Amino acid sequence: MAYPSMLGFQDATSPIMEELLHFHDHAMIIVTLISSFVFYTITMMVITKLTYKSMLDSQEMEMVWTALPALILTMVALPSLRILYLMDELNFPNLTVKAVGHQWYWSYEYTDFEQLNFDSYMIPTQDLTPGQFRLLDTDNRMVVPVNSPIRVMVTADDVLHSWATPSLGIKLDAVPGRLNQTALMTSRPGVFYGQCSEICGANHSFMPIVVESIPLDHFEYWTHSMLNNA
Amino acid sequence: MSIFALVAKQVKTHPSLIPLFIFIGGGGTMGLLYLGRLALKNPDVSWDRKNNPEPWNKIEPNQQYKLFKVNMDYSKLKKDRPDF
Repeated sequence: MAYPSMLGFQDATSPIMEELLHFHDHAMIIVTLISSFVFYTITMMVITKLTYKSMLDSQEMEMVWTALPALILTMVALPSLRILYLMDELNFPNLTVKAVGHQWYWSYEYTDFEQLNFDSYMIPTQDLTPGQFRLLDTDNRMVVPVNSPIRVMVTADDVLHSWATPSLGIKLDAVPGRLNQTALMTSRPGVFYGQCSEICGANHSFMPIVVESIPLDHFEYWTHSMLNNA
Repeated sequence: MSIFALVAKQVKTHPSLIPLFIFIGGGGTMGLLYLGRLALKNPDVSWDRKNNPEPWNKIEPNQQYKLFKVNMDYSKLKKDRPDF
């Protein structure tokens, strides 16, 4: 999860996020190489004692500095498009969860087999117990079975919201009157945090998302206990 | 002089313009071709209001409507939704 002074991405929990991390490494290397090369060139040009006042052009150099950026951009674009198409592919989900954004909480509906609906409010700071995270923990978490492809459908009840979990590489706008769909698969069990990512009023910063991924038999036990306690 | 003759004269003295034409022309061509593909083959686009007003209702379950596929095997898909 996120921690203070964090610089990089959170650890990947889904295969798509892993792909995005690798792509970010690839693009970052290219960016670092270009920036250091430009910085070095400018520094050398500024401090050099060699001068040649009759230089007008150099056709060969111009050919290189036209072709090389085009090739570098292609090397960045092709993996990027691959991931883009990968993200849109079907994942044959076993479970569908609906996440509905309200002002200012999320509600989750598991309606494949029984009718399991519950709200997920942020725990107010004064009610936190030791070990809980300020502005991130909620009273009910969206629990999913680990290693299972899941369909998440996101919509909103009133104004725009956005359902985001950086660790899973998901951000999906919750638009009233519209049903957006994404594929989710957690590769490891754990608790993964996210926050509402579309300005939605006074408590926009105080409606976090918590996804908890557990083994399938524990998930069945959880659904039973949630249905019985409702 | 026509624009082509002007450009040909410039290219003779500045051959470094050739990669520029190749990449900019190639990129622009690819963009226009993709736009044409979207206009003609995207199921969200309706040209013929009389005979085919809503092509998005006619997508087959194993039809690949996107340009590329990475991990999908479209031949293995089948329709699991009820007909209207």
